[in-house]
Amino acid sequence: MKHIRAFPLSEHQGSLPSPCINICRMDQANHQCLGCLRTIDEIIAWSRADENYKREVWQQLKRRAEPVT
Amino acid sequence: MNALMSALPPGMHVFERGWLSSNNILFCSAQENVIIDTGYLNHAPQTLNLVQQTLQGAPLHRILNTHLHSDHCGGNALLQQHYGSHTSVPIFEREKVEKWDTTQLSYQATGQRCEQFSLHGTISPGDTFLLGEREWQALSAPGHDPHSLIFYCAEEQILISADALWERGFGVIFPELDGKSGFAEARATLELIASLAVRLVIPGHGAIFSDCASALQYAFSRVAYLEAEPMRNAHNAMKVMLKFLLLDRQRIVLDELPTLLESIPLFVNANERFMQRSTTALAHWVTQQLVQSGVARVENGVLLNRDFH
Repeated sequence: MKHIRAFPLSEHQGSLPSPCINICRMDQANHQCLGCLRTIDEIIAWSRADENYKREVWQQLKRRAEPVT
Repeated sequence: MNALMSALPPGMHVFERGWLSSNNILFCSAQENVIIDTGYLNHAPQTLNLVQQTLQGAPLHRILNTHLHSDHCGGNALLQQHYGSHTSVPIFEREKVEKWDTTQLSYQATGQRCEQFSLHGTISPGDTFLLGEREWQALSAPGHDPHSLIFYCAEEQILISADALWERGFGVIFPELDGKSGFAEARATLELIASLAVRLVIPGHGAIFSDCASALQYAFSRVAYLEAEPMRNAHNAMKVMLKFLLLDRQRIVLDELPTLLESIPLFVNANERFMQRSTTALAHWVTQQLVQSGVARVENGVLLNRDFH
């Protein structure tokens, strides 16, 4: 999940890119994509979403990428 | 804040993922639920999840394909198994699909994978469809693929452009790799798009965009650039195809790369026609190209995928 931590969200200008990294398989345990860590609802919503929603999802993904301690 | 937010009409959903799976467009209405393009094979279970979650138990009546590259129809088989969806492809592809002729379909030529699906109908340029309660028309869009279709809704001024037009460019002009004409067709397709009123483009890959004029301007200049020196199209094709293989597999042992390239006719033919290098030299060159572009890295003799962002 290094790509999510490496994404410079705070410095990013302009419209936010899709977090998809072409893995596109669901983790059956937590119902998140094994690649981008989004839920099915978040993937469906992306193409209709505004920048605030996208920023919020990116922030969530960074949290989801943190190892559970 | 974002004009795109309300730009898609009700009942029209776009599942945008990365580059291995094309965008999928799902139309829902009281009459019929229809999907245009279904993504790549190994993403098919997620494609099914996306469709199921959106349809909430309703059936998926139909599948339409813009063209039959593996990243556009790789989910057809699984969706058919689940929903029994009536499936239509561009008319000139009918025989290839009926026979499932993988030498004529692009899968063997590119080393890409696609599961066989059943065919129930064909789409001819000019055909109209009621999708999401609006009329859409299929238009011929050769260039990237000789038989590709795009879909246009005049009422909404929305274009589903497949790989004929992206926000920055378009798909590899495959016919030229085999010595056939493709640049002239690609330009004619762009001219066709330029003649339409378009407020929103749903490309085959990447985010939905509204500035069709700028995309066209860039695409026209790119066709001219490639046409001026067809080697550029071949170089680009090699890079794109290796990146695709890498996205599919995530890792390729470098010692095995020459043998892999030799097994893929498009690499062999394009190399013979344009580059005339030994397979080992070709493997080295294309690896360097991906590493220099920042879309792959080499670790302990293994080529690994690197993400775009």
